[in-house]
Amino acid sequence: MTERPSALDGAASLDGPAPLDGPAVEAADGAWLRVHPASPFVRGWVALAAIAFFFGRDIFERTLQGRPMFEGNFAARAPWLIAGGGIVLVIAVLGFVLTWYFTKYQVSGGYVRVNSGFVFRQQRQARLDRVQAIDIVQPLLARIFGLAELKFEVADAGESAVRLAYLKVDQARQLRATILARAAGVTVGPDTPDAEAPEAPEHQVLSVAPPRLIGSLLLSEQSFFVLLGGVGAVVLSAVTDNRGFYFYLIPAALGLAASYWSLFNKGYNFTAAISPDGIRLRYGLLDTQAQTLPPGRIQALKISQPPLWRIFGWYRIQLNVAGYGAVEGAGGNSARTTLLPVGKKADAMAMLALVLPDPGTSEPDVVFGAGLAGLDSDGGFVTTPRGARLLAPLGWRRNAYAATDTALLIRSGRWWRALVVVPHQRTQSMALHQGPLARRFGVADLVLHTTAGPVAPRLYQAGLEQARTLFNDQSARARLARKRQTTEQWLREVAPPGSSVAAAAHSGPEHPSLPPQEGHPHG
Amino acid sequence: MRTEAIDPPGITWVRVSPKYVTVRLVQWALANLLSILVFCLPLVFVLLGWWRWPPLWLAITVPAVLLVAALWRLVLIPRQVRAIGYAERDDDLLVRTGIFFQRTMAVPYGRMQYVDIGVGPVERGLGLCTLKLHTASPGTNAHIPGLPAAEGARLREQLTARGEARLAGL
Repeated sequence: MTERPSALDGAASLDGPAPLDGPAVEAADGAWLRVHPASPFVRGWVALAAIAFFFGRDIFERTLQGRPMFEGNFAARAPWLIAGGGIVLVIAVLGFVLTWYFTKYQVSGGYVRVNSGFVFRQQRQARLDRVQAIDIVQPLLARIFGLAELKFEVADAGESAVRLAYLKVDQARQLRATILARAAGVTVGPDTPDAEAPEAPEHQVLSVAPPRLIGSLLLSEQSFFVLLGGVGAVVLSAVTDNRGFYFYLIPAALGLAASYWSLFNKGYNFTAAISPDGIRLRYGLLDTQAQTLPPGRIQALKISQPPLWRIFGWYRIQLNVAGYGAVEGAGGNSARTTLLPVGKKADAMAMLALVLPDPGTSEPDVVFGAGLAGLDSDGGFVTTPRGARLLAPLGWRRNAYAATDTALLIRSGRWWRALVVVPHQRTQSMALHQGPLARRFGVADLVLHTTAGPVAPRLYQAGLEQARTLFNDQSARARLARKRQTTEQWLREVAPPGSSVAAAAHSGPEHPSLPPQEGHPHG
Repeated sequence: MRTEAIDPPGITWVRVSPKYVTVRLVQWALANLLSILVFCLPLVFVLLGWWRWPPLWLAITVPAVLLVAALWRLVLIPRQVRAIGYAERDDDLLVRTGIFFQRTMAVPYGRMQYVDIGVGPVERGLGLCTLKLHTASPGTNAHIPGLPAAEGARLREQLTARGEARLAGL
């Protein structure tokens, strides 16, 4: 559910006092604030560098070529050059300052609002209880200045609903805590409306040591293909007696090094912690990032194991969160959708327990263990029927599903093992697919639709009868789960609203539903 | 309408308007005839003796294969249109398509984010429309083409009303 009336074009927000112009129109319980004054320069240093490059290149090239640094008639042109450069610089700086001046944000009532733009004004507001995730990102330069960017995601895969770049780190943390506390439905006392919510205490669950990260990168599927390509190139060179193939390796190696570096940089020092606000993930070597996923925001997850990771029994967990959207390329945004870059089975189970507090079965270890590594029907899984084994000679004993009370488990892959977990109340829609070959063998695929992300749940080659039953049962289960969800919300609505900050800080992650929004006084 | 193997039992499908065949025919003509004409050009040039390179057999084979494929698709169109169906159940809307590659989809009313109605030029002439359902998932590629305009409007209102009644959080 997106709630994002963007581009109101300078109009007043729908509720609350009108913050049209002038910075000092005080809203009821949130002042209009600006981001840090240095932020345009941290963000726009590329533009400044480009200007410097443009004017400096000529001089630099002359110096290199041994010519005099300035041409003979330079004296005549100098004022023009300086004036031109100065004007460009002034325009750039003025643009920065104006952008900064006109960007204001406010957390008030149930909303976070951001006004921006001075020619085309934009006012955006996002409902706090629609938050899907909050990230605090620190690129290297911002980190040097002690600044951080805050990203507020609602369920729209396009772009972040609210990006505040940059705030002081403490301020960003404070804002995150405030937003999360409000989103969780914590009402601060009426006598202290401006009281800032304390940051919820957190409890570290696991961390990934650098050696294991390096090992996981070296043994990743990428390395497998690198090795294959390298061997291929060497063999080709030897056979054709053509050294040219070696040269193709150089750019490939450079690209690979960059890719490995990026993965290492992103995955370094990965820490997962649990707090009442949700799951906290921190990682990064030069650029650091801290993600907070409020409880119940995970749409689907996949535990996978490339063939070489089996040596050490490592697993990786990726997830779909509504606000994060699809991943562009393996090296790009993938860190954001990774719940666990590498970990043993116990780590994977621990993370799973965070995401799915109620596994919906009395023996989760058996069921999920069978999902990770099992074959055939152990753990209550239903596989591809034996009659269709020609369609998947290796995978038919792995292709299987099992349903617990809270989630549907889909496992696949004999070599590239994967287990997809979709909570019942997160299923969007689903479809049965059957091609001519599958019809001949009496099987069908079941596809569950979830929000954009790296996980695409698909049950391959289930027996026709089972697939049809599952299609109906899963509809019913999803329906029931949705109903339960609203019931829980209703219970919270009738609960006395006197919950204090401290009480909410201890209301654990097992109450993940959207808290009632309308119960709060708006201003 | 015949119930296929992957359809849930006991469903009476509502078929789309047979006039939708015309829309598909126009689409087919636009997509195929032009490309076949382009691929016939080498044949003409070879026959006229302007070109030497594509040997005659190749110049004949390529457009011929394209033509056969296009005709095959043309023959399938009426059956494909007949295979499109939808059914309103208590809690979800079922949409089915396809003869060779069949798909049966269930979209819960509570999951619908919004409902679109689109009308193309040919559809407008025939009084048809296309209904599109959107959930939070890009994978929900549920559209029902070839609905009579009145039925499309009714369905949209119906779906919206049911969606509001059963709306669930993400």
